[in-house]
Amino acid sequence: MASSILTEELGPRGRRRVAIATAASLVLLAVFAWFAIRQLADQGQLDWELWQPFIEARSWTFLLEGLVGTIQAAATAMVFVVAFGFLVALGRLSRTAPVRWLSGTYVEVFRSIPLLLLIFAVFFGVQNFVDLGIFWSLVVALTLYNSAVLAEIFRAGILSLEHGQTEAAQAIGLTYWPMMRIVILPQAVRRMIPAIVAQLATVTKDVSLGFVISFTEFVRKGQSFAQNEPRNNLQSYFMIGLVYFVLIWMLSRLARRLEVRQRKRYGAGKMVIGGGLEDLEALANEAEMDARVASLSLSRA
Amino acid sequence: MLADNADVIGEAALTTLWLTLFSFAGALVVGILIASFRVSPIKPLEWFATAFVSIFRNTPLLVVFFMFHFGLRRVGLDFGTGFRTAVAVMAMYTGAYMAEVIRSGINAVPPGQAEAGRAIGLPFTGLLATVVIPQAVRTVIAPIGNLFAANAKNTSIALTIGVVELTSAMRRLINQTAETWAAIIGIALIYTVVLLIAGQAFRLLEQRYAIKR
Repeated sequence: MASSILTEELGPRGRRRVAIATAASLVLLAVFAWFAIRQLADQGQLDWELWQPFIEARSWTFLLEGLVGTIQAAATAMVFVVAFGFLVALGRLSRTAPVRWLSGTYVEVFRSIPLLLLIFAVFFGVQNFVDLGIFWSLVVALTLYNSAVLAEIFRAGILSLEHGQTEAAQAIGLTYWPMMRIVILPQAVRRMIPAIVAQLATVTKDVSLGFVISFTEFVRKGQSFAQNEPRNNLQSYFMIGLVYFVLIWMLSRLARRLEVRQRKRYGAGKMVIGGGLEDLEALANEAEMDARVASLSLSRA
Repeated sequence: MLADNADVIGEAALTTLWLTLFSFAGALVVGILIASFRVSPIKPLEWFATAFVSIFRNTPLLVVFFMFHFGLRRVGLDFGTGFRTAVAVMAMYTGAYMAEVIRSGINAVPPGQAEAGRAIGLPFTGLLATVVIPQAVRTVIAPIGNLFAANAKNTSIALTIGVVELTSAMRRLINQTAETWAAIIGIALIYTVVLLIAGQAFRLLEQRYAIKR
């Protein structure tokens, strides 16, 4: 994409320099790749017997059992995350001060604690009162953590609606809840769909942390697979990473597509994803969207 | 109970702190480097940077940890200790996100700045290093602060490769003392307080240095 603001049409000398640098960096990358491959081969990591398990169907039946667990946990958690996220976002915008204060604290607290700590907290801490089991402990922890993140995105989405919407609703005499239900939420939800899909990608990655409480998910399955004979750690984690990569890449691509479509529809205003958030995915999406919308408006102009 | 184990907790807190600071410093370096590659006119560097960012963005941190700790050790890429592995992995992981944030900052620098830099004869690297990146970083102080918080929270994942940091200490305390909630609340408070302080620090930095556009 060569960012247009940094380089302009190059002259003959500039072109020559870029050509030389391109050739040099290609050589450097090739040397790097050659060194990596030689190192892999020297240590016997390219031996067929280490990779051969991955063309056997029973290996994949074993591994995919973990992936099913991952997807189940992610999907279940996501339902609660969206529901809770909305409730907390509404709470943050409530006219009742204690409700506002309470949901504000909820967001602050659960955003400042590591997810891993929350998983342990739910798993060990709640055990004495109710036995949630591994699956539900993980789902509860994922919900607490991610709903705090999503609530802020939802709040930004609701606030991004034009003021005229609220004013019009009030002008025709709607009270708070009907206004929310009929006017504000349907529009907000529609704008939120890309953010929800992006959050689903994050949750799917987060499920891997269920590893620490022995939840049967993809990475744990990969680990036990690696410990079978032949011991192929490198190959197993490579495959796990690859499958994860494809899955998350598709989800975030879908989210981006939806976002571009929405931006075209609602105009390239300030986007809702990432507004003051510490969610890595949201931040990265924000950056990518800026670039994409810039190129979009350029191509249309 | 927390007071009895103050030494264990203190040591673990220091580990978390150093892990956070070292990996964040590394992430800044990686981020600036990869962002420069990504906007560079030299295609292979741009491809490399794009691949780097998308690999780390689309894989769970846990998988990256295991890949480095259990996998790449076999081919001679061994950092020695779990702590060092964690610093390296998190510098790359957070660095990939950092690169995206800095790139969005670069996109926000007005074209006139780059043009003026070229007009006085700066080469591409000089232009980036003295004109564009200093301004780019200053426009994205707030997102960088958020990355700091995310990175700090992610250090807990280092427990999976045997680093005794705060969350791992909490687990041990739960096992040993059975005073589950005291341990959870105590350790959670440490994270919250540290992140609050860091948040304030970044807010001050922002007030002092941010360029509002």
